Amino acid sequence: MAVASQLSTAEPAWQSAPEHTLIGAHPTIVKLRALIERVAATDTTVLITGESGSGKEIVAREIHGLSRRSSRNFVPVNCAAIPNELMESEMFGHQRGAFTGAALPRHGLFSLADRGTIFLDEISEMPLQLQAKLLRVLEDGVVRAVGSDRAVRVDARIIAATNTDLMAAVKKGKFREDLFYRLQVVPVVVPPLRERRSDIPLLVDFFLDRNRERFGGQWSITREAMVHLWSYDWPGNVRELENLLERLVILNEGPVIDVEMLPENLKNGRCHLAEAPIAAELGESGVDLNALVRELEGRMINEALKLAGGNKQAAARLLGLKRTTFSAKLRRCGVITSGNDGESA
Amino acid sequence: MVDDDPDTLAILVRYIRREGFTVTQACSGTECLRLAQQHPPDVILLDLMMPEMDGFAVRRALMADPGTAEIPVIMLTARDDVEARAQGMELGVSDFIAKPIVRRELAERIHAQLDMLAADRANFATLDQLNRSKPNGSKKG
Repeated sequence: MAVASQLSTAEPAWQSAPEHTLIGAHPTIVKLRALIERVAATDTTVLITGESGSGKEIVAREIHGLSRRSSRNFVPVNCAAIPNELMESEMFGHQRGAFTGAALPRHGLFSLADRGTIFLDEISEMPLQLQAKLLRVLEDGVVRAVGSDRAVRVDARIIAATNTDLMAAVKKGKFREDLFYRLQVVPVVVPPLRERRSDIPLLVDFFLDRNRERFGGQWSITREAMVHLWSYDWPGNVRELENLLERLVILNEGPVIDVEMLPENLKNGRCHLAEAPIAAELGESGVDLNALVRELEGRMINEALKLAGGNKQAAARLLGLKRTTFSAKLRRCGVITSGNDGESA
Repeated sequence: MVDDDPDTLAILVRYIRREGFTVTQACSGTECLRLAQQHPPDVILLDLMMPEMDGFAVRRALMADPGTAEIPVIMLTARDDVEARAQGMELGVSDFIAKPIVRRELAERIHAQLDMLAADRANFATLDQLNRSKPNGSKKG
């Protein structure tokens, strides 16, 4: 049953997990750490915004760990992972016989987080009807189990997180405005990894050290492979980097991680821009053909230039274009070639 | 925007202006340092290969001055090899763009750094607000 599995996977994580700390020396992380310490000293509701994998749960854990609630439970809940119809009983518990299958009464996650912290991840996925109930918990500090008319006092600090613009969800009517303002008392923003690239080498060393403890063996990485990791845009952020390094350590025999072991998209460097597929399908809403053609043209031109090592003549030939036509297209696509390296680029 | 080649500088500056950014231009590392100290910009776009003081030397000089050390630097270069990138990485530059430069990529990389600064400012505003309220205000909700 989904409820049981959610609980059992969450359980060991309530205890302080030492490997979960915010790693980084980038000025933005240094400042974020100062904010975390300050927020931990208060007891207010917090809303953490950041892309998926950027470390929102780690920030929540640090706030909890530094707070006066640290000896109590930290209960992480992924609102997107619990089926809507189970969410209320999962959060607030249920009475025996409250619904079919509820043979025994059960405490909800809020009760588990009593005097501790409950972390509501992907809060935007919470159904509206439950949002109303959460608002009541925030206002009155009591929860009501499904099938029960008794309100039970609960003292859980709420830290919510979202990877989408919650205000936009409010405007669309998908998220309650009153709840939004209630959660937003202390907003915290976690930047994506590509905006603090200088932390990548630090993170790589950290994860390799941790893998050494977990799996034994010495692991190191060549300078060239490190450069590739540093150049990549990490759409999945720190978690993607963590998973990749774990996979490399498990799959590879040798103790040294080299460029050849890296996945293709990473070796090709700038995936983030290039990877977005061109939608070559005519949906019901139609397409902007001119924009599509421009996009394709831009990519081909860029690729040809790269293949030709910046030589325009050769790049034009690769595309079956006259040099003058190619140059005109270059200007239109906004490809800036350097004046430094003369005619060839 | 720093580039020793006046034509490249002019084109780049025109492109970024068109994207809506406000740009100050410098045609040498020395000029870049002077301007950055006088009016620290949000982001510095720095050409790697320049006579006298190359991009890496400029980055080192920026780092040595606490007033400019934290300004994000995006390195622009026609020399896109592992060694150049490795040096940029080791000097903690914020990003690295190889020439030929695609305008959209340039704009996206600048926006990434501006977004980082916006997050910084939002977090600072929160910190400031908490510090202004009661020292250990433990009001719930």
